[in-house]
Amino acid sequence: MLAFLGTLGIVVALVGSVLLVARGVRVARGSGGADLSGPTKLMVAGSVVGMAAMQIALATDDFSIAYLANNHARSTPFPFDVATAWAALEGSILLWGLVLAGFTWMVFTAYRHGPDRLGAAALAVMGVVGVFFFGLMTTVANPFEVCVAAAERGCLMSSPFPWASVDAPIDGRGPNPLLQNHIFMAVHPPLLYLGYVGLTAPFAYAIAALAVGVPGPEWLRRSQRATLIAWTFLTLGIVIGSWWAYEVLSWGGYWAWDPVENASFMPWLVATAFLHSALVQQRRGMLQAWNFILVISAFAFTILGTFITRSGTIASVHSFTQSAIGPALLGFLVVVLVGSFTLFAQRAHVVASSPRIERWVSREGTFLANNLILTLFAFVVLVGTMFPIILEAVTGTRVGVRGPFFNRLSVPLSFLLLLLIGIGPVTPWAGAAPGLVWKRTRGPLVAGLVAGLLTALAVTRNGWVVVTVVLGVFVIATTASLLWIQAARRRPKTGETVVASIKKVLGGDARFWSGQLSHVGVVLVALGIAFAGNLSQHTEVVMEPGDTVTFAGHTITYRSPFQQNLPSRLSTGVRLEVKRPDGSTTVLEPRHNFYTGHPNGVATPSVDTRPGGDLYTMLIAIDGGTATIELDTSPLMWVLWLGGLTTAAGGALSYRNRRQERKLVEREAVGV
Amino acid sequence: LDRKRITLLGVGGIAAVVIAITAFSIGDNLTYYFYPTEAVERRAEFSDGQRFRLAGLVKSGTLTGSAGSLEFTVTDGGAEIQVRHTGAVPPLFEECVPVLVEGSWEGDVFASDSAVIRHEENYEVPDEAGTLPSC
Repeated sequence: MLAFLGTLGIVVALVGSVLLVARGVRVARGSGGADLSGPTKLMVAGSVVGMAAMQIALATDDFSIAYLANNHARSTPFPFDVATAWAALEGSILLWGLVLAGFTWMVFTAYRHGPDRLGAAALAVMGVVGVFFFGLMTTVANPFEVCVAAAERGCLMSSPFPWASVDAPIDGRGPNPLLQNHIFMAVHPPLLYLGYVGLTAPFAYAIAALAVGVPGPEWLRRSQRATLIAWTFLTLGIVIGSWWAYEVLSWGGYWAWDPVENASFMPWLVATAFLHSALVQQRRGMLQAWNFILVISAFAFTILGTFITRSGTIASVHSFTQSAIGPALLGFLVVVLVGSFTLFAQRAHVVASSPRIERWVSREGTFLANNLILTLFAFVVLVGTMFPIILEAVTGTRVGVRGPFFNRLSVPLSFLLLLLIGIGPVTPWAGAAPGLVWKRTRGPLVAGLVAGLLTALAVTRNGWVVVTVVLGVFVIATTASLLWIQAARRRPKTGETVVASIKKVLGGDARFWSGQLSHVGVVLVALGIAFAGNLSQHTEVVMEPGDTVTFAGHTITYRSPFQQNLPSRLSTGVRLEVKRPDGSTTVLEPRHNFYTGHPNGVATPSVDTRPGGDLYTMLIAIDGGTATIELDTSPLMWVLWLGGLTTAAGGALSYRNRRQERKLVEREAVGV
Repeated sequence: LDRKRITLLGVGGIAAVVIAITAFSIGDNLTYYFYPTEAVERRAEFSDGQRFRLAGLVKSGTLTGSAGSLEFTVTDGGAEIQVRHTGAVPPLFEECVPVLVEGSWEGDVFASDSAVIRHEENYEVPDEAGTLPSC
């Protein structure tokens, strides 16, 4: 029943996408019609029905659907049963389709039913992407295949036809233990997908502008909303993803340059470059061609990322051909790249003719430099990620790229970026006398150097940490002094209080200041990485109940082993009494969680987070009462998470202010 | 030289430097990884202490010891190599699971200090059919 409903939803969404392409192209060519609401609604309704059918199936434990038999169990608790809908391949494509439909709706709401060829063409591009993903769901990644041969748990054989004779297992295999172990794992895929799929909208407008021949920043203006949403959620998804890795994956790290992580980071780098260069085009008319290249690349990176994570290629090139999803995604990637860049080459002269940058010491100059660095950064990550895959595919030699490769290049590039984050915002558009920039950055630079000196004297001589502190304080000081100077300039005229004048400045150019908030977030991330990466301590101890060890100022006493039974899992762990350096105490319970249907346990760390840093404990092994425990300290770990959230908050605020600005413009237009 | 050329040279120059650094540093940061059959065949090329990664299945019934000093046999259906593993054990580690251990030869034994389970995005252990024997 639900398999019928779900399949119907997907087919309806596919039909809607096909119609959207056909009619969108017709409208864009100016050959009649203007109404695209029908196909859009079909696409949205179909994908909503699909996801609803999946959720109802999960809530009612309908194991006649093979996806549930293989990924869900009766004992899976809330909210992990909801999240199971996107925990495996087919379901994740279903979520992709739903999010794509949402963004298509967003493009549709901006569509003017008059002669709006740009909007119609953009909807047609959304339709093309829809055809591909809903096409995947009806063929190689069908989430609603029914189980026709049940195993004891799970499904051995499935059929795409919902009317096939069903053989449902009594219970399903349940989600992978790692997915059930932390709430972040449930939420971070939707966040990432909002980011990934959101980048389809600016891509659609870019292709539309090229195809229809609409010059100027109109396509940027229209796609800004989706770009900001996408960027904010992509940022959030990366932060939550690495937070999850830290809390669950039990190697005490948050980032390993793993291909799955890189897959989310590459589009982020390019999208960040795009946010800045789009501003240059809107303010100064420059970088028009470059914006097309960036937005096409950003979209291509999201498809590449999906390919990397979903084709099985990272596990082994040999598993690439096991599922048709890999070749399908790779084919789509090739079509996107070849098609987009061919169109760009043919049409760029029609829509992109930028004035040259006149002066390098200008806001646009710093933005261009930032774009160069972000693009190179993405290139480095791309090389490190794809090199092993390509080498193995071509020569059969299997290699791995070690972390130091990424660090060697990403650290200096990040330092350069931090420097630019400090200089850019105080450099005027169109050019400034070098003296002015120096005057504005002189004080903050001194502040940074003093902070660096203090860090070196009082905290650590580690060069990486000191340089990060210098640059970080420099950036924050430039931002703060800019705010202070502008506020101080207002006060003699208006007689406002200090707080009121600062509020006025912040509200006066809210988008600029939201951007600055993101910059501060990036600085915090850099500081968190520098401290946690360079000053963490690590040890491994074997303890009997009653034993006490001291580690990095903590006194840790192993009280007793414990067992805990929950419906979905069994936990075996140790109770550790921790006396912190400041004398206060807490109890940590690192454990192994064993989930129904999965014989092997998941080591689950227990973390004590304090302003100074984290104490991270992980149970490696327990034998009788004897426990092998890993202990780590990561100073200022919370700064990293706070920074990531702050960066995303800047994006969200920028989005809100964009809406307010638009309302203001509309009100002015009607003369209120 | 006009401004445009200078700009192009500058941008191209920086890009070229980064690309060159990328190309050189990737060579320094590669670790080969072999299945046991290849590792045995190429034993002569990798002297004791020279690091590489070894991929294969943890052979059923060979896992002994406890964390910190595990011993197990890694196989690809052909050759088998005894592994002495110190260091942390990744989640999902058990017999019959494909592992990737990094370390070096110590005589006939492979001494490893880091182990990962190659996983896909679902953090499921990949099914490397065609490469590894069933367990």
